[in-house]
Amino acid sequence: MLLSCSSLSVTYGRRKALNAFDLSLRKGEIRALVGPNGSGKSTALQTLAGLIKPAEGMVEIDCRPIGSMSRRQLARHLAFLPQQPSAPDEMTVEQLVRQGRFAHVGLFRNYGIEDEEAIRWALESTGLAGFDNRSLSELSGGERQRAWISAALAQEAQILLLDEPTSFLDIGYQIEILDLVYRLSREKGVTVVMSIHDLNQAMSISDHISLLERGELIFDGEPKQLADSGLIEKVFRVKGNFVQIAPNAPPHFDVELARRTALTA
Amino acid sequence: MTTTLDVRKPAPLWFLPATFLFALLSLSLALFLGVADVAPSDIIAVLTGHGSAEARSIIMEIRLPRILTGILAGVHFAVAGLLLQTITRNPLADPSIMGVSQGATLSVTIFLVFTVYIEDPGSNTLAAIPVEWLPAVGMLGGLVAGGIIYLLAFRRDLGPLRITLCGIAVGAVLHALAIGLIAGWGSARIEVLLEWLSGSLYARSWEHAVFLLPFTIAGLAVLPLIRRSLELLRFEAPVARSFGLSYRRQFSIVLLLSCGLASSAVGAVGPVVFVGLVVPHLARFLAGRHFALVLPLTVALGAIVVTLSDLVGRLAGQADEIPIGVVTAICGVPVLVAFLRKTP
Ligand SMILES: Nc1ncnc2c1ncn2[C@@H]1O[C@H](COP(=O)(O)OP(=O)(O)OP(=O)(O)O)[C@@H](O)[C@H]1O
Ligand SMILES: [Mg+2]
Repeated sequence: MLLSCSSLSVTYGRRKALNAFDLSLRKGEIRALVGPNGSGKSTALQTLAGLIKPAEGMVEIDCRPIGSMSRRQLARHLAFLPQQPSAPDEMTVEQLVRQGRFAHVGLFRNYGIEDEEAIRWALESTGLAGFDNRSLSELSGGERQRAWISAALAQEAQILLLDEPTSFLDIGYQIEILDLVYRLSREKGVTVVMSIHDLNQAMSISDHISLLERGELIFDGEPKQLADSGLIEKVFRVKGNFVQIAPNAPPHFDVELARRTALTA
Repeated sequence: MTTTLDVRKPAPLWFLPATFLFALLSLSLALFLGVADVAPSDIIAVLTGHGSAEARSIIMEIRLPRILTGILAGVHFAVAGLLLQTITRNPLADPSIMGVSQGATLSVTIFLVFTVYIEDPGSNTLAAIPVEWLPAVGMLGGLVAGGIIYLLAFRRDLGPLRITLCGIAVGAVLHALAIGLIAGWGSARIEVLLEWLSGSLYARSWEHAVFLLPFTIAGLAVLPLIRRSLELLRFEAPVARSFGLSYRRQFSIVLLLSCGLASSAVGAVGPVVFVGLVVPHLARFLAGRHFALVLPLTVALGAIVVTLSDLVGRLAGQADEIPIGVVTAICGVPVLVAFLRKTP
């Protein structure tokens, strides 16, 4: 599935949150969206998911504007993990993940074997196999995050939009989710766009990186080029440098904890 | 498998048949108990097609139609409350709180003023109330109020709490208009209208039940079709949309259904408050995490609550019975408070 958008602009009231945003992904590509807080990552993802109507520009899947699709059609192609979703308290993990099948069963059809299998697979892939009957209100933040990822996976869409999928997870699950995303893209050709704050994870998992600053797309290219551009230090106002650890791996950003010396002084 | 620590016990599946059995039980209780003394043997005789003329008239012409009208109305209010609570994501939503009942009240009042009064300004009897039109007329007003809620929800994009508050304001205005009309009407018939206004099953005949029934059947027939949207409408709009729900369309359908059910019942029995508020809570409490049970339990409990409340009103007041709306208001408040204390 090809996902693309051109000169996308989004305004909230009078504030421009996204300006002339371009993106073009080929099938199976992993794209990381990075940028400081409030730079427009979530806005971009929500617009790609068809949840925000852009003031200008449009989003296309396989050259079809998403505005011309029904919600369900769109949900069969594209699954979206919001940054901080909320669910009804009394809902269980299994019930949440089951909602991911709505795009397939619709309002009337009953759940079939393939639906149950997708649910099971989604639960297992996120390490939630024993949690299906727990209610969401009694989960830890990371467990809840995985339940939502699981719901998005159950949708079995060819495009995955993930807004900070790893933000509440311990390092073990962060890697597990990233591995899963990687496998989905390489084995099933799933196209992924995700916002992520850990630069090194972004560099190592993605094929391309988009860097946003105050709603402007200021970089779009391969991880290696981002390292060479010197933009990271400027945009995030930190000092550090990229070091090549392994010959074929993307460079590793080593940040100087300059602010710590200021604190102890 | 880990077991879970949950204050709400998961409901075993026998809950549902048990509740319907209980509904049947309360129906018979309401049939056998009443101000007029009829021996149980007489009642059974009547039910099997025999019995004295007097017993027949009490059971078949007074009690049974009254109970059945109450059951229908109870189901209407309860389901309407559940639907409204679901789409507004507010556990305090209720047709009698959010202006739907008041819209129905106003339209019924206007209708009565124009038909009864204009046709026969001198008369002091109310025999001429056009019963067959009441559910439909009530529905008209309820839908207008529902339209206002819709506009508030989407045009202004208000959150659940603010929608509810605006609904309350709209309801207060509509209610004041209705009261103003009634006060201006100034006739002896006002007394009967006031009784209707407090929600009453007094002197409900077969006509009331029969003209409400099509609305009940239509409403209940739609329920299986919206069961899955009801699940998704519990989420915030962006989440429901990204799962693939046409949020606005499904919201409108459910809102329409909720207003239609509540306001047609208001037309038949007047605004019975709190049933729509309390019954869904009761149903959710019993259903625990079995969401699929909530809807059928709401139907059964709506019938039970109204039947028993009316029975209490009939027996407690003896000759001057207490209108059911008063009973549900008095009983509903402590039940609601109890539930609110339980929920975190
Ligand atoms: N619903 C909204 N109404 C008004 N302004 C908003 C809204 N959502 C976001 N914004 C503003 O738009 C800008 C971009 O926000 P966005 O959520 O896209 O940032 P982000 O890059 O996802 O940040 P973070 O890393 O903190 O998640 C911010 O300035 C934010 O204040
Ligand atoms: Mg964000």
